[in-house]
Amino acid sequence: MNAPHALSDYAHLVQPDRVHSAIYTDPAIFEQEMARIFHRTWLCVGHQAELPNPGDFRATTLGRQPVIMVRGEDGQVRVFMNRCRHRGMTVCETETGNARFFTCWYHGWVYRNTGPLQDVPGPAGYGADFHKEDFGLTLVPRQASYRGFVFASLAPTGPTLAEHLGPAAKYLDIYMDASPVGDIDVTAGVHRTRYRGNWKFVGMDGYHPHYTHRSVLDAWRRRSGGNMADTHHGDPFADDSGNLTRDLGNGHVLLDFFPGRMGNLDRYLATLRKLPQGEDYIQAMHSAHGEARGNELLAWAGDPHVGIYPNLQLIGVQIRLVRPLAVDDTEVLMFPGLLKGVPASVNSLRLRQHESFYGPAGAGSPDDAELFERNQEGLQASVDPWLYLGRGLNRERVEPDGTRVGLVGDETTQRGQLRGWLELMSEALA
Amino acid sequence: MTITREAVEAFLFHEADLLDDMDAEAWLALWAPECCYWVPCNGRDDSTDPQRQVSIIYDDRARLEDRIYRLMSSAAHSQRPRSRMRRVVGNIRYEVREGEVHTRSNFLLAELRRGRQEIWSGVSQHRLLPASDGFQIRAKTVLLTQSDEAIDNLTFLL
Repeated sequence: MNAPHALSDYAHLVQPDRVHSAIYTDPAIFEQEMARIFHRTWLCVGHQAELPNPGDFRATTLGRQPVIMVRGEDGQVRVFMNRCRHRGMTVCETETGNARFFTCWYHGWVYRNTGPLQDVPGPAGYGADFHKEDFGLTLVPRQASYRGFVFASLAPTGPTLAEHLGPAAKYLDIYMDASPVGDIDVTAGVHRTRYRGNWKFVGMDGYHPHYTHRSVLDAWRRRSGGNMADTHHGDPFADDSGNLTRDLGNGHVLLDFFPGRMGNLDRYLATLRKLPQGEDYIQAMHSAHGEARGNELLAWAGDPHVGIYPNLQLIGVQIRLVRPLAVDDTEVLMFPGLLKGVPASVNSLRLRQHESFYGPAGAGSPDDAELFERNQEGLQASVDPWLYLGRGLNRERVEPDGTRVGLVGDETTQRGQLRGWLELMSEALA
Repeated sequence: MTITREAVEAFLFHEADLLDDMDAEAWLALWAPECCYWVPCNGRDDSTDPQRQVSIIYDDRARLEDRIYRLMSSAAHSQRPRSRMRRVVGNIRYEVREGEVHTRSNFLLAELRRGRQEIWSGVSQHRLLPASDGFQIRAKTVLLTQSDEAIDNLTFLL
């Protein structure tokens, strides 16, 4: 390594207003991120509403480690390591499906969807000291949920999920409480996207839309309706829009569009009222939450625009999971959540709004991905290796609960994520 | 006009040329005022309910116009530079139902952009309305082979 400082000197790489490009380009640092972040802290595995029926499962990875999230025949959602207890083969080879049993097709060990080992071929070959109950599928060391979001940690000890989420938890409520019954349906499928760039580029950036998404903003101005323009008024990314950035600690950050959206409430309600039975949704929200809170939740439109570090974001209608594959290769899964207890027309609108911007053919995500790839290319020019992230440092304020607040286009969010990154990377490995 | 295999093939080949050349305005002109351009997601086919399932694309006329408007913008970064494409359309079958021509064809598309070549394939299902000078597209559904895979950029036209 030719770096002037040791690459493990993370505090040198992440300074208050700048960051060294090595954290986006160096494969050795990526390996450390796997060990220190993805194989240790709380990761979101998904939402239990993806698995409405016993046996429903989704296989995924936590960092590099394959896991299965499955609803067992007893109704419980568990996260298992996707690894046979015999010789270590994956026991679930499809991404999603429904199964009563997971069978290892190497030697035929069979596991129940609640974990226990059900059958071993040729049991007579195992002695009296072999007990099937010692060989069930291995659970992740720690699992916890909040509002149906399933989190797992591969470390046996550490902060609780509640401690990890801190003040960010109430933004998961914003997402869930767009439903008058406080519940969602996550069976609408998934947009899987991928870009050749570092996972940390999936930030939370209110500064980029005027340029990265100029083509979309132009289209919004040309005609509003059936797209994301319905929930915004004017230019939501302008410094004088009233919208904010928040750094909630532990790397959790959000673009707080609530001020602008509350100002746009009448226009958004008019959009909802044009939908078949749209008025029923408004009334149901008022009944469930009272008129004042109901209106606030309607203004949010279930879009907290929050990033729960390191791999969950709730943006628009989607539950977004970020999967780093390599230092310069990232997969992003976008699950649109449908609301329970609302007219079908509201969920149709949510799907069309999502598709208009997100996914591989959306008007927004592919342009983000394109710029992330150009970013990865540009960072190879390491003669001056620093990225400047100082926008808004001169006007950032700190609220009593420790939340740092900036204007919507300030880099409060980037700084907050990197502060969370630095804390996790600097903790000693057990 | 008389509906013949030759006329159906000529229309599909003409459409393929417009798509390959990214002549989006001319392509948009092929569509009927009421139309549906659909690319299902997650390996699903046209039996899914797009009101309950997310699609890669589910455009009515207004959204299709927005798509083309954006694509023609100088700030559609994911098509700057544009994809260079050439596709082969084949295995064309068609039948006439209630005055509409229902076609089913395969496509194989080589797409080159910024040094990476991708091969895309799938089945296209067209519903065509006979018009004085050819056909209008009433609906087009593209069953993309890759629809359940991670995709980085599908902003060109299928």
